[in-house]
Amino acid sequence: MQIECQNISFQYPHTDIHVFDQLNCRIDGAGFHALFGPSGLGKTTLARMIAREINGYSGQILSDGTEKILYTHNMERFPGWAGIGDIISSTTQASDLKFLDTLVDTFGVRSCMNARFSQLSLGQKNRANLIRYLLQDFDMLVMDESLANVDETTRGRIIITLKTLFPGKIFLYISHNMLEVAKFCRQVIVLRSADKSPQAQSIFGQDLMDAENFSMPHVERTMLEMVHVS
Amino acid sequence: MFHKRLQQFVLVYAAGVLSLILMKYLLHLSDYVIPGPLEIWHTVLSVFVRYLWNVADTLWIAVLGHLISIFLAFAIGVAGRRASWIGSLIRAAAYNIQAYPMVAVAPIIFILLGDGLLARLLIAVMICYFPLLLSVISILSEPVDSVEHFYEATGRMNWRLQVRIRAYENIHKLTTVIVGSATMAMVGTIVAEFVAADAGIGYSIRIALYQSDLSKILAALFLIGISTSLYLTALEWAGDVVERKFQV
Repeated sequence: MQIECQNISFQYPHTDIHVFDQLNCRIDGAGFHALFGPSGLGKTTLARMIAREINGYSGQILSDGTEKILYTHNMERFPGWAGIGDIISSTTQASDLKFLDTLVDTFGVRSCMNARFSQLSLGQKNRANLIRYLLQDFDMLVMDESLANVDETTRGRIIITLKTLFPGKIFLYISHNMLEVAKFCRQVIVLRSADKSPQAQSIFGQDLMDAENFSMPHVERTMLEMVHVS
Repeated sequence: MFHKRLQQFVLVYAAGVLSLILMKYLLHLSDYVIPGPLEIWHTVLSVFVRYLWNVADTLWIAVLGHLISIFLAFAIGVAGRRASWIGSLIRAAAYNIQAYPMVAVAPIIFILLGDGLLARLLIAVMICYFPLLLSVISILSEPVDSVEHFYEATGRMNWRLQVRIRAYENIHKLTTVIVGSATMAMVGTIVAEFVAADAGIGYSIRIALYQSDLSKILAALFLIGISTSLYLTALEWAGDVVERKFQV
């Protein structure tokens, strides 16, 4: 399973700003991967290109064994006419309803399943939204700030659980939290501005699978590399 | 709501009548041009019940025309919201027809359909429908990306769900547009009656105009104001109920 971006160049219509200029990068194998970099460098744009939501770029994005790619972001909302439990169930296969239960407990949203989306806190909204995506058929899920507003401990627990529950899937995680990315992701793609070459560089993170195996020196080394590269 | 709307109308109406009376005395106009307050009062008393029935007749046609317009606007608006050529065609046609003063077509309708109920209803619908259609199309063609994205991405989106999401997200705008178009329905009906019908308050105003009887016209205007306020208030109340039912 892999995604490879080859010589991607892109600028938004009616602007002179080149978002990407001959960008190359590769996401290789299942697990957690990260897109990291300062705001405005095109993380979301690249993620949406990979999910085939943005076209009109030059170059190519090749996928091998990764056909179903979903992109989710932290500003998504549920329809407001029913409780989130009903909304999630309506888009879940009957055979996955038991799995839905597991996710609801893991994500800590059991108490708000009858509430409408507008009644939830920001963190609950993000978790509920992520749950409904996880219940879809996908090879790769792009999580654009999908755990924003969720506390650090819960975030860590969720990421480790996702790795355990979805060992054969690719997750592309977009976050500005350097420590988190270095700690949980096996590969961090650091995006740089279009005038730097190469525009994307890949660094290996600790890919933590169990909180007890956390290695501070490893994570510190990854973070230093990320700072140095960006 | 009715109390507030009524208060506003009565204030404006009273200001208008007072201005007329003031003008009469300042410019020394005869009773034939602007009758005195006592004559106005006597005329109002004599025609009040008859005009009340006339206004009820007009209001009935306006409400029916409004309901037909709402139904048509939503039916066509659902098709017009699409980005396809059908949607573009409907939007372009609606935009161009809406720009034409529909009241100018009224004589043709009366020639073809006579001066009965159907002609009045059709003119009311035509005057009310096109602005309503444009608003409905504009609301339903605006994507709600934050809600729709999931359904688009997972291939679950269909036209019913899309319309439901957009209508739900814009429920306040839609109810405002519907309430706003009620005035157009009332205007359309009165214009139709004024042009050529043989019933309704517009017809009574036309007769009063032939008689140069300003008192009767003032009585008719008063009742039109009251009935329009009543209808708008009823629609606002219904809109509030719908919004409260769906929104948390």
